[in-house]
Amino acid sequence: MAVSLTIIGKENSPLYIWMDEGRDSLQLQYLAHTGLDVIQEKISVGQKLPGDSRELYLGLLYASEEYKIYGYTTNSKIKFIVITDVTNAALRDNEIRMMFRHLHSIYSTVVCNPFYVPGEKISSQ
Amino acid sequence: MSAAEDVLFELLHMEIVKTFTDSKDKDDAASKLEYIGFTTGYRFVERATRETNRFKDELDIMKYICKVFWVSVFKKEIDNLRTNHQGVYVLNDNNFRFLTRISSGKQYLQYAPRFVTFTCGLIRGSLANLGINCVVTAEVSHLPACKFQVQVQRG
Amino acid sequence: MSRQNLRAIDPKKVSGELFTLTYGSLVAQLLKDYENVEEVNRQLERIGYNIGMRLIEDFLARANPGRCYDFRDTADKIQQAFKLYLGVSPSIGSWSPGGDEFSVVLDPNPLTEFVELPDHLQNLRYSNVLPGVIRGAAEMVQIEVLASFIADSLKGDNITEIRVKFVKRLEDAVPAGED
Repeated sequence: MAVSLTIIGKENSPLYIWMDEGRDSLQLQYLAHTGLDVIQEKISVGQKLPGDSRELYLGLLYASEEYKIYGYTTNSKIKFIVITDVTNAALRDNEIRMMFRHLHSIYSTVVCNPFYVPGEKISSQ
Repeated sequence: MSAAEDVLFELLHMEIVKTFTDSKDKDDAASKLEYIGFTTGYRFVERATRETNRFKDELDIMKYICKVFWVSVFKKEIDNLRTNHQGVYVLNDNNFRFLTRISSGKQYLQYAPRFVTFTCGLIRGSLANLGINCVVTAEVSHLPACKFQVQVQRG
Repeated sequence: MSRQNLRAIDPKKVSGELFTLTYGSLVAQLLKDYENVEEVNRQLERIGYNIGMRLIEDFLARANPGRCYDFRDTADKIQQAFKLYLGVSPSIGSWSPGGDEFSVVLDPNPLTEFVELPDHLQNLRYSNVLPGVIRGAAEMVQIEVLASFIADSLKGDNITEIRVKFVKRLEDAVPAGED
């Protein structure tokens, strides 16, 4: 499984952060933060990369020596960042994509709760 | 005959309009109807765009609203979209569903605003969640046609 | 817009979600307007009653359900209407010995698909529009019923159950048309 998941709101404030216990949380936060910069670059207006399929899944953002950092963005400008161990060979691109789609589905369910105020930290399970 | 679930939605809309326009604080009716539309649109578009690729730009989003979104909600596309390319978009629906049940004729025109306010909010909420802050107004001059104007707020 | 963006999503599902979300916004607004949760429950039931009175016309035209000969027929038709308008098939059961009371068990309840009830709203009957619809629709075919929730999965019950009780036939009302 992944070692960290971060959901980042429209104005780039974190809505939800989860980390595997016993990891260096400061380092993971730093990696996620850098990942967010890469996402911003990828989705910035006017940026027309050749071959960009405009898919919500943005693929591998970058890798450090220990970790891989993946990104996904919704049309509502919410960003998801998932960090996995570099050594985790079980997680292929397609599995990561499915994981993000599942997350997106859960997130949209949370937003649709009439008692949830968009932009608030997510407390639901 | 429209689909069964659409009839239910239409009846709910009608009752919402009645509930707030008949209530003791009539003056707030429009802003409440608009807000109910806003929160509905904001949430609905989050679900509806899950399978949609990233939008290119503002115009791409407006086209989505006129085609896919409008079909999801009203089972037809917007008939005509015009823009001045400076943040003003005019969406014409020649047969707006929430107005088709009102008899046509000048004397009923005065009741039209209450039947379009929810939808103004619906558009504003959807666009807000897609990153476009705007003001949405509607104008009805011939029932059951309706003209929605979207004015994007920049800055 | 790319071609893929025009891909059709299941329209029935989308319409259902639109109804669910609009209803959720309505409940949230009523909670702002009325301090008293009981009053919100009453308003939701009243709104349902009004919807039911109109919905029955559509149901009769669309489903051509035939006459109701007894209360069991009524129960069948309620089940049929849930399927038609909300896309769910509730189970009907728990009949009283006298045959004048039954339960409609909803699994799932489409109105609460996205809802998590906050702790301070445990007295809210979130889906109270539904018993209202049943009461309103029944009244238009000259049957007076009492309908209310007796279990709600939003509040931790295992099931969501509406109890419907026959009160009387409304013989004095406008006579039903001949079939």
